[in-house]
Amino acid sequence: MSTKIPPWEKVLWKNQPHPDNYIPEGALESSLRKNSNFKPYTYWHLVHLSIAITQHLATIFIFLSVFVRLKDRSLDPRVLIFVSLGCFSVGYFVWEVLQYTQSSGGGSKHGSKRNERVKTLKSSILIFLALMSLSPVLRTLSAATSSDSIWALSACLFLLNILLADYGSSNSVAQVRPERLTSVLSMNAAISSSVVLASRLSNDLAVFALIQFSVQSFTLFPMLRRRLQVPMQALLTFALSISSLILAAPLSSTIAFLFLLVLLAITFLAPAVLVWAQKYKNEIRGPWDVAVPKVN
Amino acid sequence: MEPISIAMIADFFHPDVGGVESHIYMLSANLIRMGHKVIVITHSRPPDRVGIRWLLPGLKVYYIPFVTIASGATLPNFFTFLPYLRTILIREHVHLIHAHASLSSLGHEGILHAHLMGVRTVFTDHSLFGFEDAASILTNKLLAGTLRNVDAVICVSHTGRENTVLRGELFEQSEDDPPRLVVSSNVYVIPNALVSKRFQPGLLQKSDTITIVVLSRLAYRKGIDLLVATAPRICAAFPNIRFLVGGDGPKLIDLLQMREKYLLQDRIELLGPIKHNDARSVLIKGSIFMNTSLTESFGIAILEAACAGLYVVSTRVGGVPEILPEDMISFADPNEDDVFRAVSEAISFVSAGKHDPIKAHERVKRFYDWAQVTERTERVYHTVMKSEQRDLWDRITRTMRLGRYAGPIYSIILLVDCLFFLFLEWWMPREDMDFVTHHWNHRRFASATQGL
Repeated sequence: MSTKIPPWEKVLWKNQPHPDNYIPEGALESSLRKNSNFKPYTYWHLVHLSIAITQHLATIFIFLSVFVRLKDRSLDPRVLIFVSLGCFSVGYFVWEVLQYTQSSGGGSKHGSKRNERVKTLKSSILIFLALMSLSPVLRTLSAATSSDSIWALSACLFLLNILLADYGSSNSVAQVRPERLTSVLSMNAAISSSVVLASRLSNDLAVFALIQFSVQSFTLFPMLRRRLQVPMQALLTFALSISSLILAAPLSSTIAFLFLLVLLAITFLAPAVLVWAQKYKNEIRGPWDVAVPKVN
Repeated sequence: MEPISIAMIADFFHPDVGGVESHIYMLSANLIRMGHKVIVITHSRPPDRVGIRWLLPGLKVYYIPFVTIASGATLPNFFTFLPYLRTILIREHVHLIHAHASLSSLGHEGILHAHLMGVRTVFTDHSLFGFEDAASILTNKLLAGTLRNVDAVICVSHTGRENTVLRGELFEQSEDDPPRLVVSSNVYVIPNALVSKRFQPGLLQKSDTITIVVLSRLAYRKGIDLLVATAPRICAAFPNIRFLVGGDGPKLIDLLQMREKYLLQDRIELLGPIKHNDARSVLIKGSIFMNTSLTESFGIAILEAACAGLYVVSTRVGGVPEILPEDMISFADPNEDDVFRAVSEAISFVSAGKHDPIKAHERVKRFYDWAQVTERTERVYHTVMKSEQRDLWDRITRTMRLGRYAGPIYSIILLVDCLFFLFLEWWMPREDMDFVTHHWNHRRFASATQGL
């Protein structure tokens, strides 16, 4: 006489004849779902996304080359000021064009646009004059610190800027994204770094030129970069990288070579590493996960 | 089986109140009743809960001076516990260590050191953990290191077992293609139990209002967001429903705000924090128990409610689907609409008079009984005591297989542990210790106190 053992059930309240350490075959695998939310990265998509980082780095390299030239007095501060003003006008023009094309066919009221333009003009003049008046103060701010500490401090601050910067892109129309704390911190780090570097310069005009250039490149230029459309992005990246190399090459070819290496690594090598590391992805989901409550 | 000396090691023990604590206490009390000798080792709660205390019925508790960092857990250590542990285990002639809770570093250390004194080890895991965030990754690696050489693992539910097996790497990849996961044979599932005498159902009262009881810590993990979203809907759809919410926590504010917004002050009553002894008196005021937690490894609160004769509505998470049969519990997915559907179902079920509290109580009494759980645990102890202890070389090779970096690190810890132990053997020799002679006979105590 054989008594059929009932199949094992995954319940705790039944008194089952199976021993406590019994686990049927495949019970473990059937509960867990591996890599269910996994969308594998593709290489060119990642390269496309890393363009933002490359642009940022190229901007920093341009800034550094400009600083070195200012310090060596091979660049006249007045030239720099005019160049910055020119870039500002071009940038503002591009911004206006983008605003016009990206908004819903120029639908917003004429009056409010005029107001905005007046406000922009007012604030730019304000900043211009404020920087001009502050530059003597900024020049002597860290005059007592030795140059070595300045280079180290500046390097750390730029590193902080690179790490914390906001590399996202806003594709939609004139949308004001809430500023995250990290992006504000990164901008502060960049401005502090340029202030710290400016103390090494010899005259007030040079200080003013440098600070104005840095305010423009690290606060206004990122906003413009984010608004640009895709084909323009690639072109801009290329233009920025080439200019950073051209500016750095006469100063020191080793540094230019290093810049080139870093830019290439960030754009092409890092996505490749990320794609290679995908094979280690091991996401396990199962009934033990904390549920996410969905309320209407 | 013949009586052995067991040491329960956990950071979480009385005077802290909680599921793990009462589990350890009830298990120890029942083991003593079966004739074994049990001691508990935990950390001290200065200024007054220090030293050695005795709890009824003959349970000796050692309160070791360790500093806690957060919610009763001590920092992960690897060597500082050894001198205390060695002294205690030798004095009390302990045969087996039973460690509880993955977050209890005293338990992990106990398992690491026990083999040096020839003491066997059993580990019980009470909770579910994820795999993704940084804290989980670290604690899982620590757990895997500890469980590499443990003699038996007990989990409180089948879901808990799967979770512990995956976290602690208690499986082997089989040789066939594709490689299957073969779980080690020393992982057991023994559920928690409750004292059903403490949760008798109340007297039946015929009335039109149906009361829904919610008794939990008011935190995000307990799904209070779902309660806040569904309570107004339920109150609007069923005019004869009352809510009784007991417990306290950070989400109390949300409940108060919801109550104000929908003007439900007469329909939802907030009782504040409830002591565990008073839980039954709150439970018998209602006929439905609602549990919306987002993760639950076993759900002892649900069982207590079912034992007190309430019909249960719960979210289908973790180990909850395993604890009660379908006719005593309604399940819901963790979204607002499904919870509403399940509660409506429960209300219609209870209003039709189809739920019998006395019968429910009898059933739960039979399902989850401390004597049964203790007997199953005893069987695990028996298997462990009969099996052979792994020798040191075996331990080292198993530890080295943990990983490329974790393996050597843990092996070094193991070897330094052995050296430290040898040093202690020389510095505090066994002959000079005060051995404990323990003449506690539970039957004599019972007959002396009750047989008068």
